[in-house]
Amino acid sequence: MAVEELTALEKCLGLKAGKYSRRAQGSSQVPVLQTNSGPSLAGLATIASHLVTQAKKEELLGVSLEEKAVVQQWLEYRTTRIDRLTSKEDVRTTLKDLNCYLEDKVYMAGNKITLADILTYYGLHPIIADLSIQEKENYMNVSRWFSHIQHSPGVRQHLPSVVFIKNRIYSNVH
Amino acid sequence: SGRGRMALSLTVSSSPSPPLAVLLTVQHLKGKVEINVEDGKETALRVLGDVSFTDVNSIIRYLARLLGSNLMEQTKISHWVEYSQTRLLVKSTFSAALQELNYSLSHRTYLLGDALTLADISIFSTLTGSTVWQEQLKQNKAAVNVRCWYTFLEPAVLFQGR
Repeated sequence: MAVEELTALEKCLGLKAGKYSRRAQGSSQVPVLQTNSGPSLAGLATIASHLVTQAKKEELLGVSLEEKAVVQQWLEYRTTRIDRLTSKEDVRTTLKDLNCYLEDKVYMAGNKITLADILTYYGLHPIIADLSIQEKENYMNVSRWFSHIQHSPGVRQHLPSVVFIKNRIYSNVH
Repeated sequence: SGRGRMALSLTVSSSPSPPLAVLLTVQHLKGKVEINVEDGKETALRVLGDVSFTDVNSIIRYLARLLGSNLMEQTKISHWVEYSQTRLLVKSTFSAALQELNYSLSHRTYLLGDALTLADISIFSTLTGSTVWQEQLKQNKAAVNVRCWYTFLEPAVLFQGR
């Protein structure tokens, strides 16, 4: 999964495809990138940040100091929380937390798309694609954010588009 | 004729106050529709020799049609343009209208589609001119989805093309 994602990110950034391998770490597989100059890089967030720098799109790592820190926080959240979701209960708590966080935000950090949005979007894709219409409406802020990110130019790549109903059906304004 | 589409001419009156919705619309259309803007005694868009529109609502609606969007989108834009000039502009209906707007924005980043349209611009302009809204923003009492949408659009709408 992680290697596919990094390939999608390369396309999104307009980079040539790199050479990847996998290394077992405990029960999970860690992607490894062989760079042309220097040592190989390991780990999803590390490689993704490297690709962004290589594409000269550093603004995707955040512009202000605060934004940079927020982006790093969500990259860590991606590898420590989202990639380790096992039970339905885990998924529910995570979506609830994210729904709360995204209540008053368009993007995860600041007013522009960052790597945090892209990697969280990739990581959540199988989970969101699996939700029922009612669940999507329950996690309304996550749905709004997800729908917005999947329509951002170049981000979606090979992933199937997730359908969101244009009007709310389970709760009314009055 | 070989002259192509005639450029539109817009006169803008600054009294009692400049029509923000029209000015932001013109800014949004930069590079897509050619419009000559001048100061004048009244706000009017001259389309053909003797056809002109003087009402903010009509001007935005006409310009929205020039963009060549589909019928559904044009209709939705018309809906929000009208909303911004009627229910959202009148004191007695303002808070109910704002609540409905908040509900509509709960699952959308923009009012329609996946990009900024004249629907966003007309609602945004009305809110910018609303003292009640500005007060709510300042006191942190504004409806959450509208606040999120408004603060997200602010830099994009007010400073685009500069």
